[in-house]
Amino acid sequence: MGLSEHIVMRELDVPEINDFEVYCRHGGWEAYRMALKEKNPADIVAMVKESGLRGRGGAGFPTGVKWGFLPKGVYPRYLLCNCDESEPGTFNNHQIIDRNPHQLIEGVALSAYAIECHTAYIYMRGEFAAAAITLERAIAAAYRAGFLGRNILGTGFDLDIYVHRGAGAYICGEETALMESLEGKIGQPRLKPPFPAVAGLYGKPTIINNVETLANVPRIVEKGVAWYRSHGTEKSPGTKCFSLSGHVNRPGNYELPFGVPLRELIESPEYGGGMRGGRPTKIIIPGGASAPWLTHEHLDVPLDYESVAAAGSMLGSGAVIVLDDTVKAPHVAYKMDEFFKHESCGKCTPCREGTHWLVRVLHRIAEEGHAVPEDIPTLHSIYNQMAGNCFCLLGESAVMPIKSALALFPEEFEAIVAASRRHPHGNGHGDGRHEPVIPLTTKR
Amino acid sequence: MLLETHRAEIETILSRYDSRRSAVLPLLYLAQDIYGHLTEAAIREVAAILDLPPTDVFEVVGFYTLFYNRPVGTWVLQVCDDVPCCYLGAEELIAALKQSLGIAEEQTTGDGMFTLQRVKCLAACDRAPVLQANLDYVYDVTPERVNALLANLRARAAEARQRGVSGRFAEDFEWGPDGALVPIDRAAPYRPRHFPAAPSPAPPEPEPVPEADAGHDRPADRKASPL
Repeated sequence: MGLSEHIVMRELDVPEINDFEVYCRHGGWEAYRMALKEKNPADIVAMVKESGLRGRGGAGFPTGVKWGFLPKGVYPRYLLCNCDESEPGTFNNHQIIDRNPHQLIEGVALSAYAIECHTAYIYMRGEFAAAAITLERAIAAAYRAGFLGRNILGTGFDLDIYVHRGAGAYICGEETALMESLEGKIGQPRLKPPFPAVAGLYGKPTIINNVETLANVPRIVEKGVAWYRSHGTEKSPGTKCFSLSGHVNRPGNYELPFGVPLRELIESPEYGGGMRGGRPTKIIIPGGASAPWLTHEHLDVPLDYESVAAAGSMLGSGAVIVLDDTVKAPHVAYKMDEFFKHESCGKCTPCREGTHWLVRVLHRIAEEGHAVPEDIPTLHSIYNQMAGNCFCLLGESAVMPIKSALALFPEEFEAIVAASRRHPHGNGHGDGRHEPVIPLTTKR
Repeated sequence: MLLETHRAEIETILSRYDSRRSAVLPLLYLAQDIYGHLTEAAIREVAAILDLPPTDVFEVVGFYTLFYNRPVGTWVLQVCDDVPCCYLGAEELIAALKQSLGIAEEQTTGDGMFTLQRVKCLAACDRAPVLQANLDYVYDVTPERVNALLANLRARAAEARQRGVSGRFAEDFEWGPDGALVPIDRAAPYRPRHFPAAPSPAPPEPEPVPEADAGHDRPADRKASPL
């Protein structure tokens, strides 16, 4: 089930589309030109709403509905494009900007016109330094062509787009932390409500959309709602750039209509090309580090928001990590939770302390190979105290790797406990002491 | 003093924001490049330009990982060791770098050329193992390519083609057919990598987890396992 024409990854159909002239020759900026001259902002909002476009950053919230939350008549408004792509397994924003930056900028410009805003920022993670330069060059080309600036195309519409680089903090991908960071503060999330659409950047109404989401907008406006909805499923229209990584023969980004089975993405010679060395699939993480794990039993799950949720996980950002039987589940949980521990902003206790203790226990188990019987209930206890109690989704996400590992592969933890029993001094320090284990507060 | 040497760049940065404070990250990047790292004086200078209490700027420097408040090498090598990189050769890459450079993580070589760090996901999982050298991406850095990489970076430093650790002039690299580093071709259509029949790399644990004796006390059925 391939695509006759790519919606976002157009470099596969149009050589050198990263060149401004080539982009324009292939219909680039036409949707924007037409919208400014012939459509009201409300028409564009209605189109995006009818298209069923859902936020590609992870939550899958309908984009047009989000735009509709802006309070009427309150200005200025801001549009923020979230390019803080930092979660293990995600890498499609990076490619969109490298290969097709003009479509993103047109998407930002069109969306800004739709929500009647005159200043938009593209917030990029600090590590996307060369990509930021690429984007700035593409923005400069749009200014030169008269698509940005003052009184654009004589319509009276003004718009400035700026690139803002973060400086190394995954939490800044959380929308309120992103606004804090853009305001020059440390990236700690804000309490919601008020939601950003009401009180966002500098306290003004603000819309935050992901790179892939905004890169869809020009094609929706150019080709229409019916064309867009002819891709994907009824509830998840359009395509998704799946970022496939791990032990597959062909890791990479694949733009596919929603609803393609996981097996096709992993095994088709056009996409993942199967597992390296023909080894069996062990762990599939279908939506970035924060998604609950799936196994080979779920290979027939269609990749759309509803089906992946029904299988007990989430499609999230569409970052599919596939690991084979050379990995050990406690070690994968350890590495994943080490990521969340490193990126915890420290604002709330369940996340700051919970990730710290998860990693402390998991490091001993997974890296030193030493576990005591109490470790397993302790790990259950820690994540249960975190779940539902963290200030933002980062802490909630950190629950998923360890919870999945314990639910799907308990025997791997028990094997380490059993092995440790036979070597009671093998705690890796040679002094017979155990790493501290926190006392249990809940009885399981 | 930044305001004297870089006034135009600072004015441009300030003009982008409705609040001066928003310019703190770009100004810290600038200061870091000019002074090599963020000294206390540099941080106070940025605070003065933005009319902020210095504490607010110190806090920002402490929070974000790309700001260095102690000296770093000419090249800061940041290797992603997250899932999936750690299962695709990142540990072997770090070991090779440590051996070639004679330093451990978070250390700088005696000649001040290289600082080595482990970092979290770099969003290039399809090109693992991956690292950044002063925020220039280098894709597919297998251990065999370490010496070529280090030679390339030393040569660029000698020719003064290293332009600061903050990535203000970054460029991304991949390996050309002749084994040399070349800037990535953004005009080329995106092509996924292909590992023809390559075996899966071994798991990275330095000391393998002791296995329970096969067939003895490993629970046969996870539901029946004693917990």
